[in-house]
Amino acid sequence: MSAWLIILTIGLAWLGAVCVWLAGDKRPRAQHTLAVLFSVAAGLAALALIPNTSDQAVINLNAGSVFGRFTFVPDGLGVFLAVVATVIGCLAVIFSVEYMRGEAQLGRYYALVLLFIGSMAGLVLAGSLFLMFIFWEMTALCSYALISFYNDDPKAVRGGIKALIITQFGGIGLLVGTLAAYAYLGDYQISTLLAQAQTLPPGVLSFIAFTFLLAAMAKSAQVPFHTWLPDAMEAPTPVSALIHAATMVNAGVYLLARFYPAFAEVTGWKTAVLIIGLLTALLAALMAVVATDLKRVLAYSTVSQLGYMVYAIGVGGVFASQFHLLSHAIFKALLFLGAGAVIHAVGTRDMRQMGGLRKQTPVVSTVFIIGAAALAGLPIFNGFWSKELILESGLEGGPIWAYAGMVLGAGITAFYTFRMVWLVFFGQPQGKTHVHDAGAPMQTALIPLALGTLTSWLLIGWFGNWLQATLPYEHLHVAGTGEMLLAIITAPATYLALAVVALGLAAWWQRDRLTGLGRSLQGFGRAAANGFGFESLNQGAVNLTQKAAAALQLTQTGQLNWNVVGIVAALVVVLLVLAGAA
Amino acid sequence: MDIQTLTNLPVFLWLIWLPLLWSPVIYLVGRLARRRLAVDTAVSRWAALIAILSTWLPFALTWQEFKANGVLSYTFGTITLRLDGLSLLLATAVLALSTLVILYSNTYMHGELGESKYYAMLVAMSGVMVGLGCAADIFNLWLWFEAMAITSYLLVAFYRDQPASLEAGIKYLVQSAVGSVFVLLGVALVLAQTGTLDIVQIQAHVAAQPDSLALLVAGGLFIVGFGVKIAIVPMHTWLPDAHSQAPSGISAMLSGVVIEAGLIALLRALAPLAGTASTWGILLIFFGVLNMILGNLLALRQQQVKRLLAFSSIAHVGYMLIGLGTAVYFGEVAGAEGSFFHLLSHTMMKGLAFLSAGALLYVMHTARGDHDPLTIADLAGTAQKYPLIALVFSIALLGLGGLPPLVGFMSKWQILVAGFETRNLIMIGVVAFVALNSVLSLAYYAPMVNAVYRKRPSTAVQSGLTMPTLMTIPLVVLAAGVILVGFWPSLVNGLVQPAGAALMAAFGG
Repeated sequence: MSAWLIILTIGLAWLGAVCVWLAGDKRPRAQHTLAVLFSVAAGLAALALIPNTSDQAVINLNAGSVFGRFTFVPDGLGVFLAVVATVIGCLAVIFSVEYMRGEAQLGRYYALVLLFIGSMAGLVLAGSLFLMFIFWEMTALCSYALISFYNDDPKAVRGGIKALIITQFGGIGLLVGTLAAYAYLGDYQISTLLAQAQTLPPGVLSFIAFTFLLAAMAKSAQVPFHTWLPDAMEAPTPVSALIHAATMVNAGVYLLARFYPAFAEVTGWKTAVLIIGLLTALLAALMAVVATDLKRVLAYSTVSQLGYMVYAIGVGGVFASQFHLLSHAIFKALLFLGAGAVIHAVGTRDMRQMGGLRKQTPVVSTVFIIGAAALAGLPIFNGFWSKELILESGLEGGPIWAYAGMVLGAGITAFYTFRMVWLVFFGQPQGKTHVHDAGAPMQTALIPLALGTLTSWLLIGWFGNWLQATLPYEHLHVAGTGEMLLAIITAPATYLALAVVALGLAAWWQRDRLTGLGRSLQGFGRAAANGFGFESLNQGAVNLTQKAAAALQLTQTGQLNWNVVGIVAALVVVLLVLAGAA
Repeated sequence: MDIQTLTNLPVFLWLIWLPLLWSPVIYLVGRLARRRLAVDTAVSRWAALIAILSTWLPFALTWQEFKANGVLSYTFGTITLRLDGLSLLLATAVLALSTLVILYSNTYMHGELGESKYYAMLVAMSGVMVGLGCAADIFNLWLWFEAMAITSYLLVAFYRDQPASLEAGIKYLVQSAVGSVFVLLGVALVLAQTGTLDIVQIQAHVAAQPDSLALLVAGGLFIVGFGVKIAIVPMHTWLPDAHSQAPSGISAMLSGVVIEAGLIALLRALAPLAGTASTWGILLIFFGVLNMILGNLLALRQQQVKRLLAFSSIAHVGYMLIGLGTAVYFGEVAGAEGSFFHLLSHTMMKGLAFLSAGALLYVMHTARGDHDPLTIADLAGTAQKYPLIALVFSIALLGLGGLPPLVGFMSKWQILVAGFETRNLIMIGVVAFVALNSVLSLAYYAPMVNAVYRKRPSTAVQSGLTMPTLMTIPLVVLAAGVILVGFWPSLVNGLVQPAGAALMAAFGG
């Protein structure tokens, strides 16, 4: 049963991709319809997996020689993320019906989105490291192709190629880690690595742990590999919501959570993870404070929240990280789609040209504010509960200075969130005065997400126990819903965090009184706007490569004499090497 | 030789003879038809197609016999021809690609000056390459190698009224000749030292007497001599010009099979000498690293599509050399199998890339009478007018960049696994370097895919002619292969595993 459901989840999405492509760009209505139908079908198949989880491989295909066995394991962690990918995927597709109305090359758009949805589901359900890597690469391909969807815009193409190169570079980490596991364990099965991790030579296990961390950092846009995500905002907004907020960027967090039992004991690994999470959470939050492009604020915010999830894993709170992943997927998709509705209506992404939109866009502003409240960590939205759970895990399992940093981050998060909401929906209108609210397809996507933001936290107990049931190697700290919620409400740390959040909100509210403070932080603000130097590092690497290539071009002289000299020189070198070795 | 003896001949000989017998027939028939029937009937292109299709029959029979009886051989006087796994691999690649290229050239080369010569040489080259794969002594190997070179010179310099084409042809000729001389010197040294030319006997001699300076030098000469044809850095300088100036079908053949034939010739000649030094594998890995980095960095600078693909071939040779080096030095069979798998996948992907680029070059430039090269700027908006070509070209490029689920990823993976299985720290570094190069290559493949899917077509696309259907058939076949074998890599096990085993046996592993 589960085997068929897995095949349907991935297969229906991929079949949809082919069908939409075949429908042809001359029939956009057919393309929209097919895309929605297939994405909903895939979502239903994934949802049907929820009661059919198992920690055993339900599909087992022998791919031969060095490719191992292709297996799929529908355990709690995999099914959870597959559901997130397909359900938010279908909402993004429904949203696209209105957002992408009248756009050219719809076939390519929907085919890539559906290919992505299938690949993401495959990534999290794969039981073989090699198969997981294949899906990992395929999601990177779809992400690149969708970021540079508007191929005529050089910024989009640059953003796409940047994302491709950086995530592929990180992917090398997953590649060499997988190869090492195969070379020392003899097979690619994730369960084998989890079971036999301690039998590996410590150097090898460390190698795998840190190379996997590298891959996770690049995929989840952690510092210093975060530079691709803000530039990825050139993608159509439903793509940003799906890929760069709710699903693909979570693949790194998934990787860390999945292999936590194997790597937790590796010296320095957990510390490295929590430091990376902490740095990312803070730096990205600071960059969000000074950004003026609405999608960029959300992008930095995503990076920052991913930092929270990574931090949670670093302090041993694997369940907390997954619970926050759930909350974040919902409210960030909501925020991105809401932003998409705003951008679609106003025609610009610059927040300085928005303002006062609340009255004209009641639906969008309501859902957006709901999402923002969740992001800021206000009770009773889902973001509050999951963020508090992370902070509590941090207090229990990590150093106090890291905890303090994350609480500070929560305050900064509240600040930039309020700033964003204010600039877009309140205050004086800076740009277009006549703006329309979201239409039916957009509302169909937005409203379920808003409802989810309001209620998903109620699943905490059920979710935790359901996860634990099929994860034999993990030891999640879970209990019943009531118990866990009470624990959060009664913890003093919660009120400390709430106080800091209130401070953050107050700081924006009273920003006119704080201009002195603002001025003194200006230098810092400029550094934040320049990405704290990481963008220059990026550019430096590119320039170095181009210079090396230009220098090498001199070897292609075009002159026959030099070419023959090259051949003779090669002979001399070869003979010398042979003589030396003899 | 009576009918009885003729029919008792092993069927694999027909794989070599048939194309060689057809070749002059194709030429004569083509020339006579042009003389008798004033209109340009281009009979030679259909004769060539019949010729190559007829070769599939002995191929099928050879395949069956090989699977049943193992290595096939035939001795004629002092010359032995032997078909083992390696020969079968080369024969399959050559026959498959030649068939597709001949079908493709049907439209592409129609009306060109010297069309009959083209088909005659192309068919002859195919037969000669199969012969190269079957050579059992090193002088015979050199003869087939030379024959392949000679047929290819005429094909590379086909456009004899284009100065750039002639220049490319001369460079290829001279550099290839230098390489051939080195190989011949090596053969002479081996003969002087061991008294024999037969590969098996040389191996026996080396086993008895491994220390020999002359054989060491001979091995070095083989590496450099064959290395020119394989485009090993720094002997590669002829390749970008030759590939970009040759007719696109020939570019596909050069990158797809001629380079690989050179590689197999090198392996054949070097194998018996393996016992003289332990560093052969290290040399291969070293050159592989050079090829990768130079091929990828220089491809980054190219604006002409065919030149870019030529440099990309240099990089892919690097991947193959690393796999082979791992197999030779460490005894990793996966390295040999991976390299041979990559050989096949490169034939498919690079063949597809050159043929699709050629198709676009044809409709945008050649068929309209101008001799401009196809540039990346010309590619803009191709999908608007030629959606099928855009799709298959993207498949080829992304496959070459090593993205799953296409075949290029699978073959590269096998090479990487071999590197890791050695558990050697330096090899692990080399594997990481290979992966890094694969990522780097995306930096020049991806922009072409982006260009192809732009909305605003370039002027070249706007004024381009209709794409002839016959030209698209080989492209679809190759694209299907790239996707199919990418999903089921075990489809080629029947070819790759015997080849890998043959290599390990030859190197005494």
